[in-house]
Amino acid sequence: MAKGNIVNKLFASGPLILLYYLSISEIDTNLEKLFEVFSLNLQIIIIYFWIIKRPNLMGTGHIFLAGLINDVVMGFPLGISSLSYLAVCFVGNYVRNKSVNTTIASDWFTFLIALLFANLLFFSLLNNFSEVIISYTKIGYNTFFTLFLFPVFWFLFHLYQISFIGSQDA
Amino acid sequence: MSVSRDDYSIAFRSALLQRGASQKFSIFSLIIVALIIFFLDVYGFTVVKTARSFINDVVYRVTYLASAPTRLFPGINQGIAGHFNLKKENEELRKVIERYKALDLNLEYISNENKNLKKVLDTEDVRSVSNVVLAKVLVDRNSPFLKSIIINKGSKEGIIKGMPVTQNKYLVGRIVETNYLSSRVLLLNDLNSRIPVTFDEKSTQAILTGGGTRKPILSYLPEDYEFKDDITVFASGKDGIFSAGTPIGKTKYTGEVELFVDPNQLSFVTVNLIKPSKEVF
Repeated sequence: MAKGNIVNKLFASGPLILLYYLSISEIDTNLEKLFEVFSLNLQIIIIYFWIIKRPNLMGTGHIFLAGLINDVVMGFPLGISSLSYLAVCFVGNYVRNKSVNTTIASDWFTFLIALLFANLLFFSLLNNFSEVIISYTKIGYNTFFTLFLFPVFWFLFHLYQISFIGSQDA
Repeated sequence: MSVSRDDYSIAFRSALLQRGASQKFSIFSLIIVALIIFFLDVYGFTVVKTARSFINDVVYRVTYLASAPTRLFPGINQGIAGHFNLKKENEELRKVIERYKALDLNLEYISNENKNLKKVLDTEDVRSVSNVVLAKVLVDRNSPFLKSIIINKGSKEGIIKGMPVTQNKYLVGRIVETNYLSSRVLLLNDLNSRIPVTFDEKSTQAILTGGGTRKPILSYLPEDYEFKDDITVFASGKDGIFSAGTPIGKTKYTGEVELFVDPNQLSFVTVNLIKPSKEVF
């Protein structure tokens, strides 16, 4: 019984572990060698999906900390990724409060708003308060691929949810 | 759906201020904290700089450990392939060593001659050539926006901002951030990288500009300049940061430069402890 409980907790912590691991490890979602323009912000997809589906698995304090770690590893000013992740959380929370039943299509549409909001905050802060120069083309590609691949990850996370956590949404 | 959920302002406030069993902090309070941290870091207060330096050192070490599995699998593959080619490789390496021994004698003669000539010309302090630190690449995260690596040597070894970083004498980038035990190297293909370079028999001057892609481009060239393939590009040293004559790469007819060192394949690099003659970055 206790063993089963630990396994359940481990599965429930899966999304958070993945978020931390993506922030701290060398694993990146910029497959430059295969396709030069391809890059993806998987962290934002993870945060948005789980904030909408199971907010109890994705504490805002953890999201804030993962953002800080991401800034250190990537060399961005501290707090900028946290702000962008919290913006996604905010949109996710709002959508969850306002909707009863969500589908992949409605999640995809609202994800566009969250993504644009988060990226706008991230790049306007970086552009106005930091010396780091960023390519707008790369931002465009990153936003496009993140949005384009959202349904794929939605499906994968949904499978994970019904297989290991339970099908009932928050 | 309850009546309260129809109210936009309540939904908005709830999204911003709501806390729960697993949500110990409201989004609003965390946004405020993140903004404070951001502005403290951007405006470079000494306390924050010191704290950030310490955090960087800790996080880079953890990142290095966390990334061990991703480095292990390609390593095993290479190890197996390498084992089967061991005998052949050994013979080839013996030949290479013999060739290098011959070249080494020649190099010693040339470098002595070069030192003497420089002394005669009194142009450059040749002692700085031997003043280098070998560093291991801790983190090589391929960000779509910033092209940089983290090395395991920092201000403890005398590394300061702006020092040039090379691999096999080929220019790789420059130091842009130093911590006590680690440093960040801005690679030549980063969008923020600008290097004055010289190339071809006319000693044409240009700026090597990173574009965030694999090959940086040459800009600020003379009007109507026509690019040719395979011309070696060297650092001109006009910025007072890089040593003049450090090789960088070969030109392409498109105006791009094929770097001698692949920025995605760095394991060990050398930091040249040459103090930049002006403040950088």
